Amino acid sequence: MALLTAHRRVLHADLQGDRIRAASGSMVAVEGNVDFKSSGMGGGGGMRAALKRAVAGESLSLMDCAGHGRVYLALDAMDVLVVDLTGDTLTVESEHILAHTEQLRLDVQFAGLRGMTSGQGLATTTVTGHGQVAIVSEGPVMALEVAPGADLVVDPDAYVGSRGQLSMNLVSGVSWKSVVGEGTGEPFSLRFTGSGLVLVQSAER
Amino acid sequence: MTYPPGNPYGQPQGNPYGGQPQPYGQPQPYGQPQPYGQPQGNPYGGQPHGQPQPPYGGQPHGGPPQPPYGGQPPQPVPGGAPSGVPSTLDPHTLPDDDNVNPYVFCIALNGEWFMSKGAMLAYYGTIQFDAVTEYSSVQAWVASRFSSPVYIQDWVVAQGHGKLLIGDRGFDLNSYDLDDGNLTIKASNLCAFSRQLELKQSIVPGFVTLIGTGKFIASSNGPVIFVEPPFRADPDALLGWADCPAPSVHHDAQWMTQNVRGMISGALGRASGEERQYDFTGQGTILLQSSEVAREDPAVLRLVESQTQLLTNSQAGALGQRLIARAQQQ
Repeated sequence: MALLTAHRRVLHADLQGDRIRAASGSMVAVEGNVDFKSSGMGGGGGMRAALKRAVAGESLSLMDCAGHGRVYLALDAMDVLVVDLTGDTLTVESEHILAHTEQLRLDVQFAGLRGMTSGQGLATTTVTGHGQVAIVSEGPVMALEVAPGADLVVDPDAYVGSRGQLSMNLVSGVSWKSVVGEGTGEPFSLRFTGSGLVLVQSAER
Repeated sequence: MTYPPGNPYGQPQGNPYGGQPQPYGQPQPYGQPQPYGQPQGNPYGGQPHGQPQPPYGGQPHGGPPQPPYGGQPPQPVPGGAPSGVPSTLDPHTLPDDDNVNPYVFCIALNGEWFMSKGAMLAYYGTIQFDAVTEYSSVQAWVASRFSSPVYIQDWVVAQGHGKLLIGDRGFDLNSYDLDDGNLTIKASNLCAFSRQLELKQSIVPGFVTLIGTGKFIASSNGPVIFVEPPFRADPDALLGWADCPAPSVHHDAQWMTQNVRGMISGALGRASGEERQYDFTGQGTILLQSSEVAREDPAVLRLVESQTQLLTNSQAGALGQRLIARAQQQ
């Protein structure tokens, strides 16, 4: 089975005759005998996913890497984090996906208002199944725990993804006094309630 | 909770991804613990600085570990577990007023802090952000602490209780303790400061001065380098200075005359930028960052604009024509 290993800013993908999907153009080096081909529309998720993505404005361009050997993947010198999924779902911004193993399924989830403020499209990507997904971030990712009584508010520009039973609301950090005059610079934030983990990067986009 | 060396990223507990938390190399404090200059007469109030103490706590607080990029080969992780996975953080495991990692600082907020707009990454608890402009009309202490009309639009007051995580473009963050002293810093690199400190606009454009006793957080592109005067610094790499009585602009005549091109551009009044340096004399410490990448500071425009009041009407017209010509060239 293909194995993804993060080495600071480079992802090592060891292939043993199987395939992974990786962000187009992220290959920096390859050892062994590996074939690359475009996954086509929708990042390999089929026609329906492609359609949904087109509607949602969520862009994701993936390529298939198959064969025997090791592929080195990197994106804009961003930090790499590998997440193991065992049947659960990870919600992640599509621009943060570097690679995932074949068994995982990517889908589009409509995120409503949030996308309108952060300019990242109306939708977010969910990753479901058993396998590994590699995500990239500006600076190391912090996994912040959300529990009942410990709500978390995140800057939309620093938000990378989340996992668990969470509900996301758009909150306005602007008090009534700010409506007149200049804003506070944090006009909208995401408030997470429930229980789960929120992945936050250390720089704003 | 402190920032113990050897355990850079909090407790390795409850790892959600089943992997090994892999610290980013060994924590290395920045350089030597170098006190900011000698204790000396206090220009504010006439009293001496008191005991010969390191006036600002000596060095950046909880100096974040420097990821030795390239220095240490990636360790093969036994068992093929994913590496680099962070441990889970919650309101209790987040540090109090300390670095979470080299690029993120956690403020244990209980009251008010001044914060640069957009520095907030995330927070737990109930925290409200208000523009300093609105705040200063309601609460007099804000107006007395924040006396810089040029920068007031870029700052907010964070008020409430909770854990507040701040970051700045992924730059290294450090906290500094100011003990009845003064420190001048590049305005775009100052992220937050406690309400006990007083902020004033420096005479050097683009810089602000913090006076008093309190804590502030500043970012630097790469580790901070501490230098003692006499010293000349490139304006872009200059981060700030403490206790230096006399920063002045130095024009390197040698640079301008050593080659023909420099001479021509010098005679025409053009500057390559490299001949302009800041000269520091006297007692104190100079802070440098290891990069010259500067961010566009919106306050600089307002600052220069306010200076044009010194010009007569005809001078202002001539300047306007030159600026138009420059804008059309680009």
